[in-house]
Amino acid sequence: MAQLLLLHLLAAVVAPWLAKVLRRKAFPVLAVAPAVSFGWLVSVSSDVRAGNLPTQRISWVPGLGIDLDFRLTTLSWVLALLVTGVGALVLLYCTWYFAERDPTLWRFTSVFTAFAGAMLGLVLTDNLLVLYVFWELTTVFSYLLIGHNPASSTNRRAAMQALIVTTFGGLAMLIGIIAVGVHHTYSISELLADPPPLDAVTVTALVLLLVGALSKSALVPFHFWLPGAMAAPTPVSAYLHAAAMVKAGIYLVALLAPAFAGAPAWHALTVGLGLLTMLVGGWRALRQHDIKLLLAYGTVSQLGFIVAIAGLGTKTSALSALALVIAHGLFKSTLFLTVGVVDKCTGTRDLRELSGVGRRLLPVSVPATLAALSMAGIIPLAGFVSKESALEALWQDVQTSTPLPGPWSWLAVTGVVAGSALTVAYTARFLWGAFATKPGVDPTPVKAAHPGFVLSPLLLGVGCLLLGLLSPLESPWLMPYAVSSPLGDTPPSLALWHGLTVPLGLSLVSVAVGLLLFVRRDVVGRAQARVPALVDGERGFSRTMRWVDRGAVETTAVTQRGSLPIYLAAILIVFVALPGAAALTRGTLPSIRLWDNVGQAVVGVFMVAAAVLVLVTRRRLTAVMLVGATGYGVSLLFVLHGAPDLAITQMLVETVSLVVFVLALRRLPTKFTRHPHSPSRTWRIALGVAVGASVGLIALVASGGRTADPVSAEFPTEAYAFGHGKNIVNVTLVDIRAWDTLGEVSVLVAAATGIASLIFVRTRNTRLSRATAKALPSSNPARGTWLHGGRTMRKEKRSVIFEVVTRLVFHVMLAASLFLLFAGHNQPGGGFAGGLVAGLALVVRYLAGGRYELDEAAPFDAGLLVGLGLLVAVGSALAPLAFGGTILETTAVDFTLPPCGEVHLVTSLFFDIGVYLIVVGMMLDIVRSLGTGIDRQIADEESEQEREVART
Amino acid sequence: MTAVAPLALPAAFQPSNVDYLAILPLLIVFGAALVGVLVEAFAPRERRHVIQVGLAVVGLLGAAVAIIPAAGHQGVTMGLADGSTNRQMFALAVDGPALFMQGTIVLMGVLGILTMAERFGGTGPDAFTPSGASTPGSANETAAARAGALTSEVFPLTMFAIFGMMLFPTTNDLIGMFVALEVLSLPLYILSGLARRRRLLSQEASLKYFLLGAFSSAFFLFGTALLYGYAGSVYFGDLSRAIASGPLAMNGLLLPGAFLVFVGLLFKVGAVPFHAWTPDVYQGAPTPVTGFMAACTKAAAFGAILRLAYVGLDTGRWEWTNALVLVALLTMVVGAVLSVTQTDMKRLLAYSSIAHAGFILVGVLAFDRKAIGAVLFYLVAYGFATIAAFAIVSLVRQNGAEATHLSQWAGLGKRYPVVAGAFAFLMLAFAGIPLTSGFVSKFAVFSAAVGTGGATGTVLAVVGVVCSAITVFVYARVIVLMFFSDAPDDAVEVVTPSVSTTFSIAIGTLVTLALGVLPSALLDLADRASQFVR
Repeated sequence: MAQLLLLHLLAAVVAPWLAKVLRRKAFPVLAVAPAVSFGWLVSVSSDVRAGNLPTQRISWVPGLGIDLDFRLTTLSWVLALLVTGVGALVLLYCTWYFAERDPTLWRFTSVFTAFAGAMLGLVLTDNLLVLYVFWELTTVFSYLLIGHNPASSTNRRAAMQALIVTTFGGLAMLIGIIAVGVHHTYSISELLADPPPLDAVTVTALVLLLVGALSKSALVPFHFWLPGAMAAPTPVSAYLHAAAMVKAGIYLVALLAPAFAGAPAWHALTVGLGLLTMLVGGWRALRQHDIKLLLAYGTVSQLGFIVAIAGLGTKTSALSALALVIAHGLFKSTLFLTVGVVDKCTGTRDLRELSGVGRRLLPVSVPATLAALSMAGIIPLAGFVSKESALEALWQDVQTSTPLPGPWSWLAVTGVVAGSALTVAYTARFLWGAFATKPGVDPTPVKAAHPGFVLSPLLLGVGCLLLGLLSPLESPWLMPYAVSSPLGDTPPSLALWHGLTVPLGLSLVSVAVGLLLFVRRDVVGRAQARVPALVDGERGFSRTMRWVDRGAVETTAVTQRGSLPIYLAAILIVFVALPGAAALTRGTLPSIRLWDNVGQAVVGVFMVAAAVLVLVTRRRLTAVMLVGATGYGVSLLFVLHGAPDLAITQMLVETVSLVVFVLALRRLPTKFTRHPHSPSRTWRIALGVAVGASVGLIALVASGGRTADPVSAEFPTEAYAFGHGKNIVNVTLVDIRAWDTLGEVSVLVAAATGIASLIFVRTRNTRLSRATAKALPSSNPARGTWLHGGRTMRKEKRSVIFEVVTRLVFHVMLAASLFLLFAGHNQPGGGFAGGLVAGLALVVRYLAGGRYELDEAAPFDAGLLVGLGLLVAVGSALAPLAFGGTILETTAVDFTLPPCGEVHLVTSLFFDIGVYLIVVGMMLDIVRSLGTGIDRQIADEESEQEREVART
Repeated sequence: MTAVAPLALPAAFQPSNVDYLAILPLLIVFGAALVGVLVEAFAPRERRHVIQVGLAVVGLLGAAVAIIPAAGHQGVTMGLADGSTNRQMFALAVDGPALFMQGTIVLMGVLGILTMAERFGGTGPDAFTPSGASTPGSANETAAARAGALTSEVFPLTMFAIFGMMLFPTTNDLIGMFVALEVLSLPLYILSGLARRRRLLSQEASLKYFLLGAFSSAFFLFGTALLYGYAGSVYFGDLSRAIASGPLAMNGLLLPGAFLVFVGLLFKVGAVPFHAWTPDVYQGAPTPVTGFMAACTKAAAFGAILRLAYVGLDTGRWEWTNALVLVALLTMVVGAVLSVTQTDMKRLLAYSSIAHAGFILVGVLAFDRKAIGAVLFYLVAYGFATIAAFAIVSLVRQNGAEATHLSQWAGLGKRYPVVAGAFAFLMLAFAGIPLTSGFVSKFAVFSAAVGTGGATGTVLAVVGVVCSAITVFVYARVIVLMFFSDAPDDAVEVVTPSVSTTFSIAIGTLVTLALGVLPSALLDLADRASQFVR
């Protein structure tokens, strides 16, 4: 069986090439693929009848349970015959349908053949997943076929609609398949042989499978896509409606019915929706003027009928469902193909314009009439036999109340009779509309049809008649499927005449009512116009689509504004909602001591006040100062806590950042541009508070979760024993965790270099310009001066007092920084603090004397200092190795140096010197880039402006 | 150093045992990246481009080959052996998922590099600005463009990013994971800002990516600290054991810590609500970079998420699963629904990537060995399709600039049937239509979810399927537009690419097809590679 599919695939692959060479003669060649398949199916028919079912297994994706299993049962045999037989005839018919020079022929031939192959695969496979694969393939291919004529927007919309509806159904089905497969099996034959218990999973899976089937077979509420798909070329419609695509849904229902017909919701979905669809489709068909559209609604109606009968699940209904499928396949393909001929020969499909066509196109009107009578269920055609059998199945139900209980079975019978009446009515309307000679309408001009063009409809139409006449011979072939249903008795053979039975009576009633409806069609039409459309799936569909569209637009507008604060807010809200809330609900808070002494509370209040004021102020400088105030508050807290070392460092860091801020603020507006009372600010503040509270809470919970002794408990003794120092903080930095410090200073070096090069890309401030070379001519070099740099500045910018103080303080600060460096091991201080003080000394020189003064004070490149520092630090780290120690090991050396007396030298000092140099270098880099660099930028801009002024 | 250290650590410095064969792929990529930096410094400018591309491709292929011997040396390596408990700390876990992800990232990296190398036969400019550091529109930039400067440092940057991505799913502790996270992220921040056209948009994208990324990295670190506080170790094995035996009183640390760490990782895959950067960055970044980023970052980050969820925090699953389920649901729905309205091709693909992240999360949340294989497979399938898709986007141009607005793509299929056909096929793969890799991967994760995810898994799978249906609508619209609409008067053109991009597109499309038709080999491989070492 895989070979048949391969044959289709091969045909589809060579089709574009064939179409290029042979033009439309390619169709008969391509028809060989389904024809050969049909032949093979006929050749194995006796095997199938005997229950000697052909199977084939090819391993594909065993890991996921997808195997190419094929198995021919009676059901799949019947459908496969229909698919291949009708497929071959439709392909043949296409030869005359398309124009010789149709430019899209290459695509159409290929897609159509592939579609036929996919449909064949769908009915042959024994694996649910492979079935799904073919299912989606038919969706995609039919999408391409429906959208065949892309020029019209109707086609595009119809194709899209069909694609979305059937893909949606297909995906629902996939979930059902997965649920069945994961819990039981993916093999169809195993599933049917050993149906799983009807637990919640199985029932849900079944419902999902049915949703897939119903969407494919265009049942209410999915019925709207099928008439829309009328936009396709007529051969496609014929194939789609008669043998392929929509029959896939029926196949699935018929496949599952024997095993699952009793499941909850099964009958509501199949019989209930099926009959509703039958009525809705028939009702709508009565209103159509386009004969093709009329037939399309007729298909909807018939599909509902077949699904209802197939879903009933008794032996009789199974037999009649199969007979219905065959009869429908034959008459519907005939009708569509004849409509195609009429369309081509007259140029219209509007039944108000057609007149007298029947007589002049006899080769068309005869098979069409046969098929139409079959559709209406008139003796002795195939449609009559199958409908009779269906009514018999329903009548049995009424008598036995199984599987449908009493009132429901009556409702079902009534529904089918009403539906049949509608069918008779719209059949009559079709025949009258397409072929009758209407008074008052000019005879439609008719071109003669090519004999080949009418061959396929003729064959199929005669088939309708033969199948009806030979129906007793037909039933033994279908019986194996019928008896696979557990319910009911083995049905009698299909036949034209069962005697005067109730079903025959019902049949007669429906024909009579139907004819009445047709005769009084004006009255019916007026009534229809008054009744609003009850089930408007299309409107629901477009409303859903619009809703999705609109929802998407609005959500995008709200969430995706390109605004960074909003993006960040989303993350922060999650932070508050998940970790914050988790800490609140799961965490245990430690016992909280409010303060050790009241001073801490005072400082705390001061810091909170400063923080709040930051939000209120509108001046940047004030805001910076207030932020600084919180930092100084922290350093005060350190002091009150008894940590002078940390306090010094914090104080220095705070000062340095203040200076950096101020230097950078020169290039920014003095006030914030924000509006103080805008709503966005309110929620931002609220979010900020929430995030802060969460972080605080998590910190509290974290400290409350302590179970082990802190590692710092051992620090005091260890610091002295191994690090030879009394300042624990400093020893920690240069000894206990010296590796970390080494890493940190390396990062610092990288960061300093990065800052300098990022801020001034082109002009990395390595060019030194000493003040002596840049003195303004107005100043008198002979007179003594406090700072050389001062002479380079304009008078209004100079401050003599500042210059004098700087002159006095600079060296003192340097000395202090060295003191901090050397004393740091045992007293507050250290390389980092010392470096910051030295850096601040340079800042002071810069502020007092300008950029040239800075170069006077530090006539070297910052990079040099930084690199040197890193060298010293690494060198001192490695040095112990030379003396047999380990990296970063600390040794203390005590010796006497004559002028100073006893010296206690700890080797980690050298490491600290490295840190000191790096920090100084980094400070220098900052002042050079943010100070000097910005100065230079300002100066450039000013001279630029002067030149502008000079030019104008 | 003094002896003040956590007691578990050995007192003396001891060298770690390194199985060099096991980490050879990592070393090769890292080495190639370093050499790339040297090339940038010393090679003559006109030959740099060729050397860099050659070096990167050779390095990556070498790494791919080196994975084969590494597969024979699986286990935990490169850590400190602790005598008392016989465990390896700060080690790399060279195991199935890690090697599988490494191989995926390396191979997709080759395609990414080849797309980035596109210069249209040397006649046209490449996708990158000549001078990334200059102000857009400034004299400096013009001068650099006139001098014909090329930003060939994108190749070493990409190599560093690839190194970080390979490391990400391989690390076996939170600190290592953080390092890998940064190593992969920082080059990407730079790369996103280097687009030649629409510089401001590109720089804005870079800035947003960086700032938001920095925030999530900080959260990751915060979470690491809390988890360390909880378990007394950052090593996944210890973490898992600690949760299994840990006191309930400490849950206040565990849960916030786990959430915060997940925030850092979910940000990288673009899961809702940490997704907001995705469309902006995907749109602003140079298109070849976007493709690379979409494919490889996702692979690496999901590798890391898998390890964290299955090895590190597996024992505390019931605590954090619900939050992740919510994230997965949101990700699928938002990604699918918002892709409906997009009018820009790159933004559309961005939302598609968000939706796919949701689908992959569904697989992750199934907590099953089969699910691991499914997720690994999904990442390969999605990655190759994405790289090819973005490579095609970079070819569709108007007046030399990329034409990413959807309306500009109208009628493309009539004039360039091959390119549009390939793109349409990739769209079908994103939609998950059978016989494309997209179907197999979606099927694999959803069936894992239904099979072992219980009721939650079923709900996730159902939502996933509904979202797939929505995305089908989106992708189908693109196909309709390309094939069934008339081209506008000022029609776009498809630039003829060089061999390298053609190769990327061809391989991406072929892999998508091959994984759809014959997925067994890779599925088996992924399944065999789904065992984590502990």
